[in-house]
Amino acid sequence: MKTPSSLEELIQALRCLPGVGPKSAQRMAYHLLQRDRPGALQLSAALGQAVQNIRHCCKCNNFSEDDICGVCLAEGRDTSLLCVVEMPSDMLMMEQTQCFRGMYFVLMGRLSPLDGLGSRELPLERLVQRARELNSEVILATNFTVEGEATAHYLATLLRAQGVKVSRIARGLPVGGELEHVDSGTLAQAVLERREVQG
Amino acid sequence: MGNCFPGLMHKINMSGIAKNRIQDETAFVLHSYPFRETSLVVEVFSRQHGRVPLVARGARRPRSALRGLLMSFQPLQLSWFGKHELRTLHSAEWQGGQPLLQGTALMCGFYLNELLLNLLARDDPHESLFDYYRLTLQRLVQEVDHAATLRCFEKHLLQELGYALLLEHEAGSSRPIVAERSYRYVLEHGAVPQSGQEGEGMTVSGKTLLDMAADDYSDASSAREGKQLMRMLLNHHLGGVVLHTRELIQDLRKFN
Ligand SMILES: [Zn+2]
Repeated sequence: MKTPSSLEELIQALRCLPGVGPKSAQRMAYHLLQRDRPGALQLSAALGQAVQNIRHCCKCNNFSEDDICGVCLAEGRDTSLLCVVEMPSDMLMMEQTQCFRGMYFVLMGRLSPLDGLGSRELPLERLVQRARELNSEVILATNFTVEGEATAHYLATLLRAQGVKVSRIARGLPVGGELEHVDSGTLAQAVLERREVQG
Repeated sequence: MGNCFPGLMHKINMSGIAKNRIQDETAFVLHSYPFRETSLVVEVFSRQHGRVPLVARGARRPRSALRGLLMSFQPLQLSWFGKHELRTLHSAEWQGGQPLLQGTALMCGFYLNELLLNLLARDDPHESLFDYYRLTLQRLVQEVDHAATLRCFEKHLLQELGYALLLEHEAGSSRPIVAERSYRYVLEHGAVPQSGQEGEGMTVSGKTLLDMAADDYSDASSAREGKQLMRMLLNHHLGGVVLHTRELIQDLRKFN
């Protein structure tokens, strides 16, 4: 049996999603065409619209419908702090904590030399420019993976050379965490990075 | 076809079984990348089995116990099975004892891994290189200047791969290298006495060669020439592969 060409094209197109192989793409295509045609039309319209309207905020580099996004435009945020994160989802998490009212810069990636992702793949000039424009302290909130750590080290060296004050978010046991149930790596590092008890 | 070597057959079968299941092997993760929807392929450097690619099933799920565990530069106890090239990780345990690499030391760690990924063939055991890699990671944590440690590792690596440097004698002869003399180091050959300005290879002093033989890089000129010589040799064996970590380390040096 020959697969109709429009169906074949849809399956091919779905494979551009990360982690979607031929099997999953086929499953998705069957589902959309057999069980959810209105959903399929909605998806197609939303995709078209998003690609047309979404760009990067010229201040924080996050996705935005305008030149400057809502967070960067918001009144009353602390412009003396600039938090650097890897992905928009990280920024969302930071916002949910409600502990941070400063500004953001979203890298949209990380350094990963073994994947061939070097400094040229990141918008570093714009980050330096933003940090100088705000004259702010930069808080590095990249992941605590080896790639996130390498990225933090690279950014810290780059920014310090420009006279920017840099800090790194702390790591340790999860809040409410019990030693018995925490993973060894976290516990070992928490012991190494222990703090003197004040007062 | 009759089997006239029953003993031999038996041995082949045994090694086949041994290959299928590996238990509690000390290993380091060299690199990992996404595989299928929720899994990870982890390239590990194991002590007794060399470089092996393992599938860590479900390791990219948010609550996977493997997620934080399969980190580079940390000694792990791994068990795996499978008879195809890509084997399946069965269990992983944290071994500990190695502080996390940070800053420049971390960049150097990536450099070691990039060298190993590009130069080590899969399933080729290198126990002494494994032990030296482990020692090198420990040194990186303790020291400030990493240049000598990197040169020593590079020398060990080439030696283990069968490309040992000839540092104490002239190429193809038993004449010892003399510290005060000048030589040319020729690829796949060794050091020959410098005669005039012409000739292939790289100019290097006898002292540098002897210092490299002794893993002594305290002399600034030996450190500089040693680095150039190693780079020439590594580039030759890398066959045109660009080392991305080298570029990053060079960038960082420019900032400082
Ligand atoms: Zn913005």
